[in-house]
Amino acid sequence: MKPTWIVLRKELVDAFRDRRMVLVAFLIMPLAVPLLLAGMSSLGMKRQTEQLERTLELPVLGIDRAPNLMVWLGSNDVHVVPAPADPDAAVRDQEHEVILRVDEGYAADWKAGRPARVELIYDSSRPLQSGASIARVRALLEGYSGQVGTLRLIARGIHPAVGQPLLVASRDVATPESRFDLAQQMLPYLLLLLAFIGGMQLAIDATAGERERQSLEPLLTTPASRESIISGKILATAVFTLLSLVMTLLMYRVAFAIIPAERIEMSLEVPFRAMGWLLVVIGPVALLGATVLTALAAFARSHREAHGYLPLLIFLPMIPTLMLMVAPVKTQAWMLAVPFLGQNQLILRILRGEAISGVEWLINLGAGLALVAVVWLVAARLYHREQLAASG
Amino acid sequence: MIEVEHLRKSFGSGLREVVAVDGVSFRAEDGAITGLLGPNGAGKTTTLRMLYTLMQPDRGRIVVDGVDPAQDAGAVRKRLGVLPDARGLYKRLTARENIAYFGRLQGLDEATITARTNRLVAALDMGDFADRRAEGYSQGQRTKTAIARALVHDPRNVLLDEPTNGLDVMTTRAMRSFLRELRAEGRCVLFSSHIMQEVAAVCDRIVVIANGRVVADGTPEGIREQTGMANLEDAFVKVIGSEEGLFA
Repeated sequence: MKPTWIVLRKELVDAFRDRRMVLVAFLIMPLAVPLLLAGMSSLGMKRQTEQLERTLELPVLGIDRAPNLMVWLGSNDVHVVPAPADPDAAVRDQEHEVILRVDEGYAADWKAGRPARVELIYDSSRPLQSGASIARVRALLEGYSGQVGTLRLIARGIHPAVGQPLLVASRDVATPESRFDLAQQMLPYLLLLLAFIGGMQLAIDATAGERERQSLEPLLTTPASRESIISGKILATAVFTLLSLVMTLLMYRVAFAIIPAERIEMSLEVPFRAMGWLLVVIGPVALLGATVLTALAAFARSHREAHGYLPLLIFLPMIPTLMLMVAPVKTQAWMLAVPFLGQNQLILRILRGEAISGVEWLINLGAGLALVAVVWLVAARLYHREQLAASG
Repeated sequence: MIEVEHLRKSFGSGLREVVAVDGVSFRAEDGAITGLLGPNGAGKTTTLRMLYTLMQPDRGRIVVDGVDPAQDAGAVRKRLGVLPDARGLYKRLTARENIAYFGRLQGLDEATITARTNRLVAALDMGDFADRRAEGYSQGQRTKTAIARALVHDPRNVLLDEPTNGLDVMTTRAMRSFLRELRAEGRCVLFSSHIMQEVAAVCDRIVVIANGRVVADGTPEGIREQTGMANLEDAFVKVIGSEEGLFA
């Protein structure tokens, strides 16, 4: 046990003296993550409010067929302009988000009290860009329709409620914490990714780098067993990664404190208590990453070869996040035992402010640490190979 | 004391099998300097690597102070001070920190480490760079630091793989007198070299290795008599069978 502690201490001292490594782990990464998420989030928010508040320019085909409707639209912040000759093409080419076409028989139908026809031309394959505008025009048209309908009923001496047999009211049970946006969906993946490969530089340097700089062979001539040396290196990597993650979470907090969250009734902040729980979830992932990276570094013949396996490692934690995005499922106990999937679910639940039971913790942490143990055995075996140090 | 009997080690298998060490036997006594001399690729480094337990012999036996590394590799490593062929330092640590790291791994307490480091820094004349980070050390400074960290635990047996490799004349001379000091302290010193003058200058006993086998073993005088050559250089060429690699 004692040599492990000695190696751990030395590797951390060594790492913290590497200015480039410290800069990346404690400044660049902690800044990049919140900036990326905050940027995505505020951009989305800005777009939403802009689309709702700004004057909407609406091209209309057949303006003079429905003058009253045009006045109604105009009084609701819609600027009516004449439509281009080919409305379908204009929408498809994204020249306009939505175009309104008033039917030729509109005036005649209106006078006869028949439903008069109007047509919305839009492209549903671009919901992010034009969804808000389409919904806004639709709501205005329905509002106009409802208003005129009510007036017509009153004119005939009928109570307007007759035409409204159902009153649909809605009650949203979401708590502020559980209202998510895209940025929050990305957070678990980014946290898991950073935990998994954040220690890459240190782990590769401590094994492949040590071998390339010819200091591994002397190290192996000391009485310290290879198991304790490898454990020290793995623990140093995990500790370094977790410290970097703490920094990232703190930066994240600061970033989202600046964004006006109350405006959208959404909590983007991570309370300190939740941060503590997040670290408990992420801890085994950092340990797993450190062990996998150390095994890889022992397996690879050089620094360069070790870096070559990186794309594969980036992809691993992505799988469950992608799965959950495509097919959101209810958490089941067995999922908590699946690496990355389990942590992903727990992170989401911590961010949503949901309680996690002791059994669930046990399943997740137990499965995570068991996997670490298996990879550790592989890494230790790789460290016992004669080719490891004796390269020359 | 180090005893080696019928050591054999090969790499690869089948047609590509290369026998690096083929039945090497010798003894390195306490209070003496034993030189392992041979051309490049003769099997010196592989022999030493088996001695300091980095590799396991296919056959044969090693005994260090009565302990067999096959039984207790850790105990053997405690008794050895090793300067391997690879002598990389940790560049972001100072020489003293490099030495202390190995001292801790040898199980020494901090007071002992400080005392031993001070003695080695003085003996190897490292005062002017010992507290500077190893980044930018000269070859000689690197070798001295590597030797100091190998000896921090005061080992009875000292193994050095080509200790004067890449050193200038002054440092080489200092190294020789340091080896004599180690001998005077009663240690068993075993070092390998492909440079004949090097071995002739300090060794009490010479083991000549070529193609993985011991081709001569004895005192410098003994080897001269054995070969019937008046000159040691001619004697080496005769036992090795060619001049190849000897004067590289």
